[in-house]
Amino acid sequence: MIRTMIVDDEPNAREDLEKKISADPEFDIIGTCANAFEAIRDINSKQPDVVFLDIDMPKISGIEMLSMLDKDSMPRIVFVTAHGEYAIEAFKKNAIDFLLKPVKSERLDITLTRLKENHQPQPVVTETFPTNLTFVPCYQGERYYLINIKEIIHAFSNPITGVHLVTGDSGQEEYQTNLPLKVFDDNSPLKRCHRQHMINPDYIKYIEKLDNGLGQIYTYGNHTIPVSRNFMDNFPSIA
Amino acid sequence: MQDILFLEHMIPLLQHMLVFLGLAYLFTKTPVFTALVDNSLTFPDKAIIYLVFSGFCILGTIFSEPSMLTDDAIANTRAIGAVLGGLLGGPVVGFLVGVTGGIHRVISMSSIHDPINFIDLACAAATTFEGLFAGCVHYYLSRKGKIETLFSPRFVGLVALVVGLGHVAIILLFGMLAGEWAVAWSLEKEIALPMLIANAVGAALIMYMIREQKKSCDELSSGAAAWRIADKTASIIYGHFNQESSRKIAEIIQQETRVGAVAITDRNRLLAFAGLGVDHHRPGSPISSEDTLKVIRENKVIFADGIRKTYQCRLKKSCTLGSALIIPLRDDANNEVVGTIKLYEPKNKLFRKINRKLGENLAHLLSGRILAGHYELQRELRIQDQYKILMAQINPHFLYNALTTIGHITGKQPDRARNLLHYLSDYFRKNLKTSDDTTTLGYELEHVESYLEIEKARFEDRLQVHIEVPEHLLAYSVPVFTLQPIVENAIKHGTSELLDAGIIKITCVEHHDSFTLTVEDNAGLYKKSTTNGIGLKIDERIKIRYGNLYGIDIQCEHEQWTRVNIHLPKNNKEQT
Repeated sequence: MIRTMIVDDEPNAREDLEKKISADPEFDIIGTCANAFEAIRDINSKQPDVVFLDIDMPKISGIEMLSMLDKDSMPRIVFVTAHGEYAIEAFKKNAIDFLLKPVKSERLDITLTRLKENHQPQPVVTETFPTNLTFVPCYQGERYYLINIKEIIHAFSNPITGVHLVTGDSGQEEYQTNLPLKVFDDNSPLKRCHRQHMINPDYIKYIEKLDNGLGQIYTYGNHTIPVSRNFMDNFPSIA
Repeated sequence: MQDILFLEHMIPLLQHMLVFLGLAYLFTKTPVFTALVDNSLTFPDKAIIYLVFSGFCILGTIFSEPSMLTDDAIANTRAIGAVLGGLLGGPVVGFLVGVTGGIHRVISMSSIHDPINFIDLACAAATTFEGLFAGCVHYYLSRKGKIETLFSPRFVGLVALVVGLGHVAIILLFGMLAGEWAVAWSLEKEIALPMLIANAVGAALIMYMIREQKKSCDELSSGAAAWRIADKTASIIYGHFNQESSRKIAEIIQQETRVGAVAITDRNRLLAFAGLGVDHHRPGSPISSEDTLKVIRENKVIFADGIRKTYQCRLKKSCTLGSALIIPLRDDANNEVVGTIKLYEPKNKLFRKINRKLGENLAHLLSGRILAGHYELQRELRIQDQYKILMAQINPHFLYNALTTIGHITGKQPDRARNLLHYLSDYFRKNLKTSDDTTTLGYELEHVESYLEIEKARFEDRLQVHIEVPEHLLAYSVPVFTLQPIVENAIKHGTSELLDAGIIKITCVEHHDSFTLTVEDNAGLYKKSTTNGIGLKIDERIKIRYGNLYGIDIQCEHEQWTRVNIHLPKNNKEQT
């Protein structure tokens, strides 16, 4: 069974595709999402094999969403779009599949057959899609936000609650995000200082060297962030 | 005996006068003449005035010499030079002309009869007095802002008469002091009257000629300059009155008129500035001068000549501009002021009369152009309108989305799909029925409802629509395609970008003789676009049809809501 997810902001488009795909017994629809925020969360938690991804969605497009997924656990992506103008050439070149809406069953069958032969993830080629994060989808309670990467001072992961982002002049704002720290490692200027902590170098006031090879970062907002032995090399000024 | 003596002096004086008139006429035909009547009074101009009228003084003395060989009775026309020099050049020039004439009088006479007698000194003093007095009159009038009076021949004659009397008094005074009262008295008895008459009439006639020449010169050159400017600007503002065309026009006017600076404004902002002070008069900035705002408000010319009424730049204390002529640009069709044109001169230079006339001509010219441009713009807009409306009528994007949506639900909800097809055909049928320019609000709302039914099917629970328009307003007329494109934009650039449910509200508020339709979304994502969006087109179309009181304004609270208010007049109820 190929574990499949559908991401589209139009409910009827979603249902239509779901119906057509589930006609093939080898595909198991494990979830549908109405926007990129939900999709990132569900892809991280459910780890599907294949995602049918709409490009034109509110706030974060399907293309932007790619840079917010962990490369190592990236599912195979099939783009679905109503707009032929979205870089069809680029899709062809990188052999990433795409479907034009409305999706015809005959055309979908070709894609499904291809997926059955090989549903290993395809590397997302950076020349085709910009992979630098500029905005980070996150939430506070029920509300979703897009935070500019430059505003993030500090990111840390909590084994129970997930990844937290700290912003604001004195670090008073805290958001949660479904993006793993790994994505920030790959696609953002944030630097890893600890297995569970990342720091935006722009906000470092000074770094204090402690005993036993540990360190401590002081931010301009006077917060302290630990530096572990393994990541000391990321900060040559104190190493 | 007295009569014969009078004529004996009068006739040569009249001859001198005629020679002066001839010389003066020739002089008005030379280029230096313009400097003389400009009131611009910079150093070289004053020097020219000094030279010319000192020359007149000297000639006055020379002409009278032959008679002096035989007689001491020295009737002369020296006063004409001194009076005119003083009146045109001011106190300093007047004084210098008088002194020069006086010294020449003393020197030239001293060669004839040695030693210098009291009459020579008296004449020198009197001529100096004449020049200085006339100069003071100039100063007084310019302070009073009545410099125009200087060019009145009658006034000049009067001044010449007064200084002539002074002249007589001075000679008599010198005679008394020198103990030769009898000589002085008999002399004056003989020549005073003819000299008074000849000098007064001569000065008046010369000024008359100067005035006439100046008038035709002003008109000619301002007319010519206006034509040159008209010619150069012809291709620029044909069509649009904007920052770019204004900049070019301001530059051309400044080059042609050589005033200190030229500015063009619309009703609120400085559109263009050329010349001195360009560093701090920034195009695009709001109008800072109270006078300019007054010109726009009251639709009349304001002239801050730098003397009676000073001009002070509000942007920079050290700005060198000291006088300004502010003229409204009128759109006669709507009888409103659309902007102003301003000519400036720096503080050390007085405003040239000719430029004042020219400025008014220019404003007239530009107003005409704006009017022509306005009609051109209207015609252009009408064509663009038709095109845009045609595009909106076809609206392939919408048709594509609608058919895709219907395709998605056909299998699952065939009845609903059939209904949607009904709405879609209704939408396009109404599009076809728009051969007229206007329709009723009710019809326009039905059109929007058909459109919204399809969008609701596309977004399902992500789109909610509330329409609250009072029943009795539905019969009022609105231009076709006023509401639908705005609702479409509210969805396309607004609610479709929301993760939560989008809400579109269409409401209508009634005023005394107008009403306001409001389309509100809960996205608050409106960004002022520089491109000509369909919203701007609708605004222009309403303004052309109903005037500037109506049209569209947009309010936005970022990420909270966007409100598009459409203001329309209530006057024309459609027959339904």
